[in-house]
Amino acid sequence: MLALLLLLGCGDKTEVKVSGAAPAESPKDLGKAVTGDWLVIHSLSDPEQLNPLTSSDATASEILAFIFQSLLTRDPRSLELKPLIAESRPVVSEDRRVYTFKLRRDVRFQDGQPLTGEDVLFSIKTIKCPLVNAPFLQVYFNSVIDARLIDEYTIQFTTNEPYFLNESVLGENVVLLPRHYYDPENLLKNVAVRDLTGDPAKLPEKVRTFADNFNKNYSRKPLGSGPYKFEAWKTGREVDLIRDPNYWGNGKADIDQVYVDRLLYRIINNLDAALVTLKSGGLDTMDLTPVQATRGSNSERFTREFQKFEYFAPSYSYIGWNNLSPIFRDKRVRQAMTYLTDRKQMVKSLLFGLGEVVNGPIFFFRPEYDKNLNEYAYNPDKAMSLLREAGWQDTDGDGVLDKVIDGRKTPLRFEFKIPSGSSTGKSVILVLQEELKRHGIIATVRDLDWTIFLDDVKNHKFDAVVMAWAMQASEPDEYQVWHSSQAANKGSNHISYKNPRVDKILEDYRREFDAKKRVDLYREFQEILNNEQPYTFLFARKSVSAVQRRFRGVEVYPAGLRPQEWWVPRAAQKYVGETALR
Amino acid sequence: MTSTISNSAAAATTDKNSRAGIEAAGGLWSDVWRRFRRNRVALAGFYVVCFLAVIALFADFIANDKPYYLEYRGKVYFPIFRSYLVGMGLGHWPAELVNVNFKKLEAAKAIFPPNPYRPSNINLLEPLESPSGKHWFGTDKLGRDVASGMIHGSRISLSIGFVAVGIAVIIGVMLGAIAGYFGSWVDLMVSRLFEIMLSIPTFFLLITVAALLPPSIFLTMAIIGMTSWVGMARFTRNEFLRIRNLDYVTSAIALGVTDRKVMYKHILPNALAPVIVSVVLGIAGAILVESSLSFLGLGVPAELVTWGSILHEASTTTFAWWLAVFPGFAIFITVLAYYLVGEGLREVLDPRLRGLR
Amino acid sequence: MSSYLVQRLLLLIPTFIGVTLIGFSVMHLAPGDPAELRAAGGLGGAREGAISRNKQGSVDEALSQWRKQYGLDRPLPIQYAVWLHNLATLNFGDSFKDNQPVWQKISERIPVTVKLNVLSILLVYVVAIPLGIYSATHPNSFGDKATTLIAFVLFAVPLIWAATMAIVFICGGDFLYLFPPAGLESLEYSSAWPLWRKFTDQAWHLFLPVVMLSYDGFAGLSRYMRASMLEVMGQDFVQMARAKGLPARVVIFKHVLRNSLIPQVTILASILPGLIGGSVIIETIFSIPGLGQLGYESVLARDYPTVMALFTVSALLTLLGILISDLLLALVDPRIAFGRRQQ
Repeated sequence: MLALLLLLGCGDKTEVKVSGAAPAESPKDLGKAVTGDWLVIHSLSDPEQLNPLTSSDATASEILAFIFQSLLTRDPRSLELKPLIAESRPVVSEDRRVYTFKLRRDVRFQDGQPLTGEDVLFSIKTIKCPLVNAPFLQVYFNSVIDARLIDEYTIQFTTNEPYFLNESVLGENVVLLPRHYYDPENLLKNVAVRDLTGDPAKLPEKVRTFADNFNKNYSRKPLGSGPYKFEAWKTGREVDLIRDPNYWGNGKADIDQVYVDRLLYRIINNLDAALVTLKSGGLDTMDLTPVQATRGSNSERFTREFQKFEYFAPSYSYIGWNNLSPIFRDKRVRQAMTYLTDRKQMVKSLLFGLGEVVNGPIFFFRPEYDKNLNEYAYNPDKAMSLLREAGWQDTDGDGVLDKVIDGRKTPLRFEFKIPSGSSTGKSVILVLQEELKRHGIIATVRDLDWTIFLDDVKNHKFDAVVMAWAMQASEPDEYQVWHSSQAANKGSNHISYKNPRVDKILEDYRREFDAKKRVDLYREFQEILNNEQPYTFLFARKSVSAVQRRFRGVEVYPAGLRPQEWWVPRAAQKYVGETALR
Repeated sequence: MTSTISNSAAAATTDKNSRAGIEAAGGLWSDVWRRFRRNRVALAGFYVVCFLAVIALFADFIANDKPYYLEYRGKVYFPIFRSYLVGMGLGHWPAELVNVNFKKLEAAKAIFPPNPYRPSNINLLEPLESPSGKHWFGTDKLGRDVASGMIHGSRISLSIGFVAVGIAVIIGVMLGAIAGYFGSWVDLMVSRLFEIMLSIPTFFLLITVAALLPPSIFLTMAIIGMTSWVGMARFTRNEFLRIRNLDYVTSAIALGVTDRKVMYKHILPNALAPVIVSVVLGIAGAILVESSLSFLGLGVPAELVTWGSILHEASTTTFAWWLAVFPGFAIFITVLAYYLVGEGLREVLDPRLRGLR
Repeated sequence: MSSYLVQRLLLLIPTFIGVTLIGFSVMHLAPGDPAELRAAGGLGGAREGAISRNKQGSVDEALSQWRKQYGLDRPLPIQYAVWLHNLATLNFGDSFKDNQPVWQKISERIPVTVKLNVLSILLVYVVAIPLGIYSATHPNSFGDKATTLIAFVLFAVPLIWAATMAIVFICGGDFLYLFPPAGLESLEYSSAWPLWRKFTDQAWHLFLPVVMLSYDGFAGLSRYMRASMLEVMGQDFVQMARAKGLPARVVIFKHVLRNSLIPQVTILASILPGLIGGSVIIETIFSIPGLGQLGYESVLARDYPTVMALFTVSALLTLLGILISDLLLALVDPRIAFGRRQQ
């Protein structure tokens, strides 16, 4: 048996390439897009579940985006809202509280059933239902207090206060679910949206039955109206989506077309194994780590087979200083810390150059981003003078700065907390730690399991943390993170930042419907933050994706890549014929 | 699967062989040593073990960013020794030497250790360099010298090995002795405990505890110790069961010697033979387990550099072969050395394996 | 004999309770809880300490409701009792991560882990037993010492290192491509394939993981085989057979081997619990969806029901193994069963 194993081990590889065409030459030679072929995408782990409302992880979101649609979508280039399932953008009332959407009449779900206003109403009811396991999505809809069908293809939403992002929330965040599939017995028929906003205990039994069923039984078989249908999910191995030949949008000029016949997410937990699989043809695209991108993918063979695309994912890393801590409540100390962090060098060495230093919370492709902020370039002398100004000196010759705070001599010692999985954060802290030590500041490091870490962060039990925020490429709203009210109740204002002027700006911004005025408001906001340094903003990372060269139509957009646009010329298609049938 | 088969084989072997009746009195040890020496392979292992112990002990003098001897502005200092004093709170740095970079001092004369780096010396300008005259084993992604990391890391690996096994010995011998000596229902209960510990998926439990609690070396030592004592407990129990019925023990009890004294003075010294072998093998095992844990990113705090943590970095930076080869080799040699010594000891302490017939 | 069996079975119960209790305590007493984890968008964010802004907001109420739904707000002893009660009806509950029934998640992966470990055990036996026999029949020869040394060397090579090196150098990438680096089957694997093709594909994928899982076992088992054979060879009846003039070969294979093989089987008992934890590293490195990987992920995700279920399965397997090995030993050596409690 052993011999057999050995023999077999060296046997032929089972990769069948029916058409052995070499990847075609010039990228300009585009021709007309055709359907066909598979796109094998790398996924680091299984999605947790494929229920669009209850799932909470990034892999699931990526997959579900191909299956489900909403009333509005965004133009990938301009990031403007544009209609998708809705016929046009909604009619908004004078007081900005009522939004009326008219639907297209030609939309069908993947099982052929038409999509009507009933489905839209059902979707919003499901989101608002407190017994459905989607607390994090529900928070967004707290201001939506009513929804009604005007006629079969017209729906009207009412919110309780004007907020410029309401259109986006209603248009993009309401995932359209087929009522006949997710609520076959129509249990929610006579329940109004207004009823769902009250006390959960008063809801009728039917609602509970519906919610239990919805939470439990729909994790693995999503059904939507999008261009790709869910086909199979083999746990730990792959998730399979196939192009719906009967997609309602096929052939329509105003609807984006898709071409690849199959989107196959191949789950490989180990990044090395994934790169190796990519190189040997088992994957068509994957995200490369900085190391892989700069050192592991430069061979001639690799460049012949793959193209690398760099783009910024809307996110940034930062060091969060606990603004209530006796050491960090003085802004001069925070500024000093930023001057001591050589962020430029970190990007070069830790990220292998794949990133940009940032100085504020706004995604720098946005018009709101302020380009004229103080860079806080690495300057230890300035840092030390700021500290001296703040009263920190080494008075006892032990090599550590100290100061008398509340009557007691306190050394400049504090603790960084980081989650155990975060390797970049760890590197940043280690570098900073050495730097600080040289200037008489002692920083210790504590790494914690993710949930424990989150717990400490939300309860403000930390001196300093290194974390990151992931956002969207669309309009920002910094209320959640910076408004002083969000520091209580485990909100997102972890560092307990408080500035009345900032509070006012954030509140006014939400009610401002003129884009230009919003830009001005946020300019002022960024300048205040730049001065006060409540965070030491670190950097935005660049993602690098490798894509097999046979794919055409690959473009980099502000929010990243869009695989639904890619296609392969017939002559270069790899998965054809017999193998395509599986 | 790591060492499950080996350990159970070890357990089974010594279980049976304890019935052979080895009376290890004090004077036997020199005989043991003489016979051990004849096994050249085991002897080689022993020398490696000693070599590693020396490196671990004198790590600060072999790899350090402070010099042994410094002449600066007309005064003479011994920075390495002083750093020990300051660390113990018995001294302080003179003003001109506080937080200073010794390599950049315009000193008249300074003698540095052979490897002039500490494992924590970060240098972002020299990341991931391959081995050279400057950095014998290359550098990691933060520019830290790998050789220095390995020299100081030996301290951590060895101390985890020793302390973990120490804990295991204490728990195991105690429980085994109690079970073997008192027999009947005490034995029944303690044996259930053995079964419970055996039934727990140990590595799984290790990962669980290491993942959930904040990492620290002490925690790692403790949990490895607390999950690996069962083997020793079983040997001890078997030995006690056997020896307890021997004449000299029954007469001691009849004479009224207290239980405790009988166990400590009369039985224990003679029951230790299989435990000693187990200790040596246990150290090897503990080092392997620790490296697996830090490879997974668990068990060791962020700032500490251990052999396993360097391997952890190697796993994501595969072109940097030096990050994998050297620590991997170090773990390998250490484990091999201890294992050879352990096997050598077992051969010597157990007549059946000498193949005399 | 049957009373012994019954006695042993009864004794399994306290052990079983002990194991599950330990598992339960460890999971629950450790800080952190599954609700918070879901709030932060699962484990995906853990890698870079990133929280998606979509998922934020003051969700305290939602969290407490969710906890109530899963019974996490009741006192710990009650939670344990409830779990035990459910267990009696073979209801392992639903996973916190994705609401799938835990039993389904586990049974999906059992064949994989079993395949991996059974093959590995077989490999170890197939290699180690002959090695042991050779060593015993040529004690202290050069061959004996050499093979022993090689076996020890293999024992000492750290698994993580060997596996990573294998992936980098012989699994494609920039060097050789002898084996696949991940998964259990090729991309094009289809149930329409002929049996032999399916078999070869799986064997090709399993080869490296199985070898990695086994190589450290050669040392222990072969030494044990050697010791056990030497012991039997030293016994009177063997001396008698040699004196009678039987050729060495016959003596070895007929008498010695048979008597020394039986105890080897008892080793199996200790291997069974390793089935769950032991392959965690291999499964992670080679992306094999087995129980070890499930266990690791479940711990990190605080998926209590799954972790408890895995502890239970592991406990059962071990106890089963111990029982089998005790029974076998009792069968072989009648002294043991009866003489046990007489000390």
